Amino acid sequence: MCLGLRLELDEAGLVYQPGLPFSATALEHVFLQVEPGERVGIAGPVGSGKSSLLELLAGITPPTSGQVLHDGQPVGRAGPKPGTIGLSFQAPENCLFENTVAADVAFGPGRLGLDKEEVARRVRSALEATGLDESFEQRHPFSLSGGEQRRVGLAGVLALEPRALFLDEPTAYLDPAARLDLIDRLVELNEESGATVVMVGHDMDELSRFAQRLLILDAGRMVADGPAPGLLADAGLLRDHGLEPPGTVTLAGLISRAASLPVEPFLTEEQAVEALARIMEGR
Amino acid sequence: MQTGNMVIGLFIPGDSLLHRVDPRSKIVFSFAFAVALFLVSSFGGLALMAAGLAAGLAVARIPPSWLYRGLKPVLLLALVTFLFQAFLRGGAPITSLGPLTLYREGVREGAFLALRLVLLVLSSTLLTFTTPPVMLTDGLSRLMAPLQRLRFPAYELALMMTIALRYIPTLLQELDRILKAQLARGADIRRGGLVKRARNLVPVLLPLFVISFRHADELALAMESRCYRGGRGRTARRQLRLGWLDAAFAFIMVLLIGGGIWVGRL
Repeated sequence: MCLGLRLELDEAGLVYQPGLPFSATALEHVFLQVEPGERVGIAGPVGSGKSSLLELLAGITPPTSGQVLHDGQPVGRAGPKPGTIGLSFQAPENCLFENTVAADVAFGPGRLGLDKEEVARRVRSALEATGLDESFEQRHPFSLSGGEQRRVGLAGVLALEPRALFLDEPTAYLDPAARLDLIDRLVELNEESGATVVMVGHDMDELSRFAQRLLILDAGRMVADGPAPGLLADAGLLRDHGLEPPGTVTLAGLISRAASLPVEPFLTEEQAVEALARIMEGR
Repeated sequence: MQTGNMVIGLFIPGDSLLHRVDPRSKIVFSFAFAVALFLVSSFGGLALMAAGLAAGLAVARIPPSWLYRGLKPVLLLALVTFLFQAFLRGGAPITSLGPLTLYREGVREGAFLALRLVLLVLSSTLLTFTTPPVMLTDGLSRLMAPLQRLRFPAYELALMMTIALRYIPTLLQELDRILKAQLARGADIRRGGLVKRARNLVPVLLPLFVISFRHADELALAMESRCYRGGRGRTARRQLRLGWLDAAFAFIMVLLIGGGIWVGRL
């Protein structure tokens, strides 16, 4: 069991190439508090600053204005304390470099000064969490398929058993079944370990399955921050910012139009059943 | 870890007169300028050429902060050159600092060499600041085209340069990502001895190599699928034409370089 990390942004902003002709503002005046153990989704159109926000929160990219705090302590330019955060960019498989899967996953925990048994335990449990069985351990990472490499890359981050996990579109290029599987594993991990998990996603169906709280960014500004179910059910808000509402919300809208009845937007199967039952009663 | 802030042959978009000069003119005269810097042997000549360069920087509206960025890597070298010359060259001693003696001729020669070095870097930086990389390689390949008859692979060389230039920012970005990801996994590239530090670079460099090879593979496929078959008989969409601007540029550069050599012929 580990305690989640509390994350805070105090009027943080990020400008790339400040003071130069190419300077580009990625984020402006962001105030944000993420409680320990929260599951936060970040959504927004391309170029809205999602990845920048993730990097700021992780403390791995210093802001050009304002402050980033972990557990109330400002994060210095040297970055967060080793082992407190896990970070996976869009293609974690790009960071593979060892000769065997097990060695690659062991790299992170091996640097934390843990004993051999503990490292081995973490490698095993991280590979398990990403759905890779023991037969993978001694294989060469580059002999695996793209999806398997992605899992190994992610396992290398999970093996740190971080107090906060930051993921940038972890499901990109995975097949539909693997996507849902990964999302469910992340939720499970969050519930078991209590780690804070922040995920950037472009698929509202996935975010509705994952997030308790949703942040919506547009053009470097935070335009919405609140409980995920409420925001995801607001098709108008999502469309205003170039996002496609979850399939279930669109479906609820279609049913409402076909039946000429107001239908509450639903996100889960139970809510769908409830909503449909109410329509049937009404008939 | 601010790899995004590096200035390597970076181009500053603009519409100044210097931006509009044909890349071939700029390449030829930057080269002539660099050669002339080595023919000049007095401060007067160097000063004239520095004035010309300053005028060029002003015309191109290069922000001073960029100049400093472009010069940063060479400033240390210039300083070391100056110090070596000042203390070790010999001549009439000025003053002694402990075991070291400062020499008059040394200071003069050191300042001269350092200034020459700075001017050399500044002039080539001005070329890359005002010329987009693609134009630069276009110009180079056109200049080298006559050599093609001597079986010199001018076109292939130009293509290689274009691709290399194109991928520098891409790879820097990838490097930044990998570095951050591996640092978050506990990689440590700043501490330890030389051997240890080199070994610690493996988690960063190996993935970068893998990515480079992947990029190369994908690029080759993309080029082949667009029926790329080498340079022979290929025409350019962007035609380079010399105009009155180039004539004026050539006139000024001949005056500047000629004047510099004439003043500095001592």
